[in-house]
Amino acid sequence: IMADDKDVLRDVWFGRIPTCFTLNQDEVTEREAEAYYLLLPRVSYLTLVTDKVKKHFLKVMRTEDVEEMWFEYEGTPLKWHYPIGVLFDLHASNSVLPWSITVHFKNFPDRDLLHCPSSSVIEAHFMSSIKEADALKHKSQVVNDMQKKDHKQLWMGLQNDKFDQFWAMNRKLMEYPTEEGGFRYIPFRIYQAMSDRPFIQKLFRPVSPEGNAYTLGDLLKEMYPAAITNDGEQKRYQVVIHGIEPLLETPLQWLSEHLSHPDNFLHICVVPTPSD
Amino acid sequence: MFAATPLGAMTESGRNCRKTDVGVLYRTHRGVLCLMSGCALNEKEFFSCCQLLLQQSEHLRDGWSWEAVQGSEEGYLRKTVLRSVLADCYDAQKQTETASDSVSPVSAHPIQELQQQERTQPVVATCFHSDGIIGDDGDEDDAVCVLSEGSSHVLQYEYHILYSCSYSAPVLYFRAFTLEGRSLTLEDVWSSVHPNFRHCLQNSPLTAITQQEHPLLGQPFFMLHPCRTEEFMRPVLQEAQEQPRPVNYVLLWLSVVGPVVGLDVPLKYCTQLHLSSLQHSASDLMSSTVETGVRRFARKTCK
Repeated sequence: IMADDKDVLRDVWFGRIPTCFTLNQDEVTEREAEAYYLLLPRVSYLTLVTDKVKKHFLKVMRTEDVEEMWFEYEGTPLKWHYPIGVLFDLHASNSVLPWSITVHFKNFPDRDLLHCPSSSVIEAHFMSSIKEADALKHKSQVVNDMQKKDHKQLWMGLQNDKFDQFWAMNRKLMEYPTEEGGFRYIPFRIYQAMSDRPFIQKLFRPVSPEGNAYTLGDLLKEMYPAAITNDGEQKRYQVVIHGIEPLLETPLQWLSEHLSHPDNFLHICVVPTPSD
Repeated sequence: MFAATPLGAMTESGRNCRKTDVGVLYRTHRGVLCLMSGCALNEKEFFSCCQLLLQQSEHLRDGWSWEAVQGSEEGYLRKTVLRSVLADCYDAQKQTETASDSVSPVSAHPIQELQQQERTQPVVATCFHSDGIIGDDGDEDDAVCVLSEGSSHVLQYEYHILYSCSYSAPVLYFRAFTLEGRSLTLEDVWSSVHPNFRHCLQNSPLTAITQQEHPLLGQPFFMLHPCRTEEFMRPVLQEAQEQPRPVNYVLLWLSVVGPVVGLDVPLKYCTQLHLSSLQHSASDLMSSTVETGVRRFARKTCK
């Protein structure tokens, strides 16, 4: 069972989304810009893995026409601070591959998107998520006991796509006292595409006072009951994590340990079931 | 004595207080106060503290409102302020003069006040660093001050107080626009932070001001990171606890962090907590706890 669990960690880490980047038609170019194809890591962030995309399009543009790069899918600006896999599952999970993203270099939508002037901003955001997750899991005790170089190792592992380097440190964040049966609270966020509210994040324990393990279904019943299909009803929503629909009976603690993103959060997308 | 009665007294007072896992909740004729035995704040207590702050704000016309999330108890406090910002021409003399009134180094007026001021005197013009970036301490003296007569740079600041369940603490979010609707950048915002805090915050990224997505609105805001809140609130709360004096956690927290980002919290707020005969000592308590809190906050963030 242990071997299978480790496979899950690897499958999650190495998940990729084939993507096609096209330059926005309104950008001023010196000659026609060709589309650029790239396999994007689900667990990383857009601005961390698209240097090549930027270089490619800069070849056909004048520097004075280039401002901060940003991405859009079918009119929706893409939030770089969300993991790539979450953006895909939320906006494009039921569309044909490759994922078609439009690249912009002008008119940055500063009412919708955070600025990303450098990779240290991505690092700060990533580490901030890890610290918040540990505040929920361990009252920050594990992350605060780590040294600065340990924090750096987590970031470098993500940045350089080094599974072993990352998990050598991350496994400490996945431990818990045996008698507790799990973390103090589960770090999770539930996203719904058609909502003003960006996500739902609240306190939820993985184990009941009687010692029973709560499931994904229990979490949804409490936080987003509309996502659960009642008997006899037609299924309206899909509950997607890393591009798959885990069984609602799956224990939440197991999901948190194995299907969290490197930021230690369980990112759950609730999307309408496609009507074929 | 206070109108509130401590735990342990019989019947009448038994009805007016309730022990929670973080402290004792007192119900007075002015609303709910919280005597903290711990330093964490749960969501219900956050809500109660906000409602009390709101009542006082209405009385003082300080401009706070409560924005609820779909008719639930979930929501946040909100305040919009028009400011003419004196970023780098900060006058040390002015600081000592106004210290007794508030801890804020820049003037922040609720909308009505600013309009009044415009009538009686010309609006103070803005000073920005020529490159908009704050460098070393020495820059204060070299600041380029452009005072243009008759022209005013008025900015609209919007402050939100939300609850973080991850850190069991309130969090301050804010954003700012010019009157033409241009969003202020992080560099612009830094220039409005008190010079003392600026230096400390820059060295400590997790207590610094960073751009974040507003958890309820999904839009970019600036945020003062909450992970150190419990640390700097603890000594302030313990001091109040030793008296013992009931405190409004959110109000106390706000009076410490607000001034860092130019948000004024008039001392009149605390004088409303107590009966008129205790007005004087209440102001002392508030100003001393605020000073302690501010000093501790500055020390902690400079680690």
